[in-house]
Amino acid sequence: MEALNALIAGFGVALQPMNLLWGLVGVTLGTLVGVLPGVGPALTVAMLLPLTVRLDPTGALIMFAGIYYGAMFGGSTTTILLNTPGESASIATALEGNRMAKAGRAGPALATSAIGSFVAGSIATFLLTLLAPLVVELALKFGPADYFALMVFAFITVAAVLGNSTVRGLTSLFLGLLFGLVGIDSQTGQQRFAFGVPELLDGVDVVVLAVGLFAVGEALYVAAYQSRITATVEKVRGSLLMSAADWKRSWPAWLRATAIGFPFGTIPAGGSEIPTFLSYATEKKLTKHPEEFGNGAIEGVAGPEAANNAAATGVLVPLLTLGIPTSATAAILLGAFQNYGLQPGPLLFEAQKDLVWGLIASLYVGNVILLILNLPLIGLWVRVLQIPKDILYAGILVFATLGAYSLHQSWVDLATLYVFGLLGFAMRRWDIPVGPAVIGLILGPIAETQFRRALSISQGDVSVFFTHPISASFLALTALLIVVPWLVRRFRSTSS
Amino acid sequence: MRSPAEIALSLGVVALGLGVAGVTATLPSEGGYAGIGPNFIPAVVAAGIIAVGVWLAIEAFTGGWRKAPEHTDTFAPAPFLWVSAGLFAHMLLIAWAGFIVAGTVLFAGVARGFGSRRVARDIALGLVFTIGIYLFFVKLLNVSLPAGWFAPLLGTAGI
Repeated sequence: MEALNALIAGFGVALQPMNLLWGLVGVTLGTLVGVLPGVGPALTVAMLLPLTVRLDPTGALIMFAGIYYGAMFGGSTTTILLNTPGESASIATALEGNRMAKAGRAGPALATSAIGSFVAGSIATFLLTLLAPLVVELALKFGPADYFALMVFAFITVAAVLGNSTVRGLTSLFLGLLFGLVGIDSQTGQQRFAFGVPELLDGVDVVVLAVGLFAVGEALYVAAYQSRITATVEKVRGSLLMSAADWKRSWPAWLRATAIGFPFGTIPAGGSEIPTFLSYATEKKLTKHPEEFGNGAIEGVAGPEAANNAAATGVLVPLLTLGIPTSATAAILLGAFQNYGLQPGPLLFEAQKDLVWGLIASLYVGNVILLILNLPLIGLWVRVLQIPKDILYAGILVFATLGAYSLHQSWVDLATLYVFGLLGFAMRRWDIPVGPAVIGLILGPIAETQFRRALSISQGDVSVFFTHPISASFLALTALLIVVPWLVRRFRSTSS
Repeated sequence: MRSPAEIALSLGVVALGLGVAGVTATLPSEGGYAGIGPNFIPAVVAAGIIAVGVWLAIEAFTGGWRKAPEHTDTFAPAPFLWVSAGLFAHMLLIAWAGFIVAGTVLFAGVARGFGSRRVARDIALGLVFTIGIYLFFVKLLNVSLPAGWFAPLLGTAGI
């Protein structure tokens, strides 16, 4: 009930004309940039962060929520119409969506994706509204030791459990943690790894790291390895409307996908990748038209797209209530909060009630804007997709360098950006995931603060992490995550 | 299959970890009530980097990194260098020639790296794009960007 009142007050904030305008600008720009081939949601959010530097925090965060949603949706448009997926979460959509487009059914594919995203996003936002106050209540009981243990759990799942290789995930995580150490130690004022360079004393900015890894690294990679490959854009022919049969096959898929996507978003499971594939597999199993799978089955688009959006909203639960980002995109959003001196977590719900609930209300509004805006503007998105690669990457890099330069008006940030670009190139080439590095950069310093705070309270006694029940459970869970897969592998190899 | 690149990268990670350990050794360790100082977590990170470096090296020497996807494309040095050159020129130019000049040079350099041979078109497009961004950021968003060589022109145009 209290949540409902808070939400109504939140709508009062979100529906103020200026905030509504920022939401609209955010959704439009997010979709526009998110449609660009090779630009995923993380890069979209990072590139558009500098746009908000002069806004008040509420307006800026509402705009960011719009950018986040727009970027997600823009990515699906690209996947359906282009045969190269821009983000891992869209690969499942590509399987069926691109086939549908090739068969001249691009319209219904885009429609089921847009309406499914709306349905899933709205239900997921409603679940967020119900769940957030409960998690906040729980989180208020957390001490520094518990937070630290929770962050260790998040680190291990995103770095070691997900992805192709545990060791490469951990390599990425430790690089991120190292970048997070650069600057002034918040507890003692000690300079660390800054080597007296003034620009480094502020620490490594998440925009520079994310843009370096995703934009510069990607540009170097594509230039060096794939500049001659050209993708073909499918034409949108015929009606955008879905037939009665399309509706009948889509809506159960949307609902099932929401049930799969939202819970996966709330746990540290790397965002949307797993739930979209799970949803695809579910739909493939349950369909009455198995012969269409692989040739453009509409459930195969409806499910993964809805799952993607539900998971994207689910990610906001740990981000807002606990301050834990579980995907690279969420880590960048957390960086946006920090730019305004705001630390997401239970205390933010108390101290900045209007801002938090205004943000949540703006998610409902953003979903509606997205639905109204996207289908009519499909012609524009198609034209954006046709921008040739040379112009596209030239424009992306001009924008990317602008974000880094505007931090201190200094070439040092541009040099840092290039170094991260080289790193991103190498990571892309040798299959080292970049997500854990971005999460490590943002979450590392927070984890260190909690670790030292916990030890200060216990007068240096390390046993606090194992005697507090919440902390001990998270650490036990982390240990299980490491040990169980290892045991399973050992068992399999000895039995075979 | 042993890959020289994987071996080099693995050893590079180990070297980075040793470097981090070296810097950590210069940090103070006094930590008040907590009993640990600003050097504790850096030491953990250094140990972690060395450990994953050694692990990568072991994989690289015993059959290559596990589950690495097949990579068959050949590296084209010229495009890579063009993009890099654009970024370096931008770095050097931005403070004194201004955002528009530096951005246009970057634009043309990257376009060239991606195979464009139409230099005049790229410069023209780069100018339009950077002037647009400049006006948007400086006039609408109040973000300051260096005007550089374009300062007199933007000034007489009343911008």
